[in-house]
Amino acid sequence: MSARPERVTSPQQRLRVLRGKRATRPALAPWMIMAIVGIAAFLGLVFARTSLDNSAFELVELDTAIEQQVELNQKLRLEIARMENPARIAPLAEEMGLVIPDETHQLLVDLSPSSDAVVLADDGGNQ
Amino acid sequence: MGSSGGALSVATVATRPGWNPTKLRLALIGIVMLLAWGVVAWRLVQVQVVLAPEVADKGLQQRLVVEKLAPQRGKIFDRNGDLLAMTVEAESLFAVPAQVEDPLWVAQQFGTLLSVDPDVLYERLTSEKDFVYIKRQVDASVADDLLALNVKGVYSLPEPAREYPAGPIASHVVGFVDIDGVGQEGLEIVYEDGLRGVPGQARLERDANNIPIPQGDNDIVPAIPGTDLNTTIDLPLQYKAQQFCEEAIQKPVLAESCWVVVLEVETGEVLALTGAPAFDPETKTSDDGSPFSNFAVRGVYEPGSTQKLITVAGALEEGTVSIDTQFLGIADVLEIKEGACESDDDEIQGCYRDFDEHETVDMTVEEIFVQSSNVGTITVADTLGQDKLVEYIKACGLGEPTGIDYGAEASGILNFAAGCETCWASGAIGYSVAVSPVQMAAAYAAIANDGEWITPHIVSSVTDGSGKTEVAGIETRQVVSPETAALMRYLLAGVVDVGTGTSAAVDGYRVGGKTGTANKLGDDGRYTEATRASFVGMAPIDDPKVVVAVLIDSPAHKYRTGGASAAPVFSKVMEQALHRLGVTPDGNE
Repeated sequence: MSARPERVTSPQQRLRVLRGKRATRPALAPWMIMAIVGIAAFLGLVFARTSLDNSAFELVELDTAIEQQVELNQKLRLEIARMENPARIAPLAEEMGLVIPDETHQLLVDLSPSSDAVVLADDGGNQ
Repeated sequence: MGSSGGALSVATVATRPGWNPTKLRLALIGIVMLLAWGVVAWRLVQVQVVLAPEVADKGLQQRLVVEKLAPQRGKIFDRNGDLLAMTVEAESLFAVPAQVEDPLWVAQQFGTLLSVDPDVLYERLTSEKDFVYIKRQVDASVADDLLALNVKGVYSLPEPAREYPAGPIASHVVGFVDIDGVGQEGLEIVYEDGLRGVPGQARLERDANNIPIPQGDNDIVPAIPGTDLNTTIDLPLQYKAQQFCEEAIQKPVLAESCWVVVLEVETGEVLALTGAPAFDPETKTSDDGSPFSNFAVRGVYEPGSTQKLITVAGALEEGTVSIDTQFLGIADVLEIKEGACESDDDEIQGCYRDFDEHETVDMTVEEIFVQSSNVGTITVADTLGQDKLVEYIKACGLGEPTGIDYGAEASGILNFAAGCETCWASGAIGYSVAVSPVQMAAAYAAIANDGEWITPHIVSSVTDGSGKTEVAGIETRQVVSPETAALMRYLLAGVVDVGTGTSAAVDGYRVGGKTGTANKLGDDGRYTEATRASFVGMAPIDDPKVVVAVLIDSPAHKYRTGGASAAPVFSKVMEQALHRLGVTPDGNE
């Protein structure tokens, strides 16, 4: 057993060496989150823009389809008007045997409240 | 080491420390790269920053396409909402002659299919022009079929076309447009400003394939469509009226033309306005090859005895006669100017004859009117005086346009020049005045409407983006009292019951009207044998709803009078009109 050396306290020895804080790596999580959010936002914007463009294309297609339907509608209206032209219908009616009668008979219906005609109309509507 | 070799020693001597060749080359490459990138960067900055607005603007201008947006021309409807005119999209086929490889084949094939003269088409296709039309405004399906043939140099472009589904029936009212869609006649030109609409403009950003770029710099000012016209015309009645007119210009009446005006009494609305020969708005030709005309509004004729309505009404209103007033010694010839009757063709200058010879008799005003005595009517007019006669003629709307909404309406002629000794007498019986059928119809409508004259009109309202707007400017004025009007209706009924207009009768209704027969003036200014026969009347006579005026121009001699040619047409048209309006029969068998 050897004798322990005597501690000599010098002014310097009263100074303690303190261990400094360990150098730590910067935290990645916030940056990662920010990056992810940024990328997500970017992708979101791209997606929104693409969707908007697609919608715009669809809108153009719809407009075109509407124009076509309007044109078709107009042509059908024209066709109906042509079909309803009296100059077309009258000769066809005559061909089918519809003629203006040579003799006409006038039915004068008494519409006064006390007349039988009204009673008949109330009963069954056949006058 | 320094003494080991001579060459190395030289190199060592020649090369300063830090400037070895590799480093030098690398440095040079670096500098070049730097300069190159610098130039690129400089150009980038210049383009992206300095010149950015200018370059962006140039790019935009390349992508921008400015298109004129043509407005849809307004439609024209009849009173039932049936279409009379509308515009549809069509295709115009055109060719670039230099690209057409076989113009003869194209001319023959396309000419036959499109009803275009192949010779004319061949001439176009072999011309030096850069652009020629093959045919404009072709139905889109036909154009598609032809384009499917893939003929080199043949193309199409969209172009609107005006269609008239009622064809010739309504053409005298509606009129027509030219190939560019601008109104040329009828309502098409009268309401051109409203029908045309306001063009719009579209500034669109398009890609290289001419497809609009979404979210691009698009600016669209939409076109404002033209206003729709809602007319008062009843298409079925218009058709029947035209059909009856067509019959009148064929055998046996064989007239040159026939015109019909139908007015609704209470409103002045024109229910029908048509004539024969018919006019096709598609081909723009009449059945007889003549150009478009509308004598009913633009033509004038001496009305003859139909004018007597105004003469007698004026005298009754002024109280100078009553319908029972008897005039003694009414002969069949009246000479106002001495010696006038010695000349056979000098009637207008002071010699007046009744249509039929008769003995000198005493006649009441009623008899004078019902039998249409010229001499008797002049006698009645004498009690009224020229100034009052002219006053009533003007009050009834003769001598000036009625204001009907139809272009170039005739004013008519009133020849009552100062110093003219016989004009008042001529005017009393329908000479020395010239009127249009619509003027005469409006005058009779005033008598039918208890003496109130109303501007005849064809368009009742217009419809635009803001809704339906009634047409303003319908004038009314009292011409004679309701009592005088009632008396005149009584006299008009007598004409149909027992007078010159018996063939105007309509089954089931009491009708009143007046015949008119006036000789036509020849090119030499003298009256000819040819006549203009007319009949104007109303029904039901106790409460008139409709007035019909019929004018037959130059009927065959046997049918030269209004009673023989115009009254039967009147009867048929009136019957149709009353049925169309649902007027209850008033019991005439």
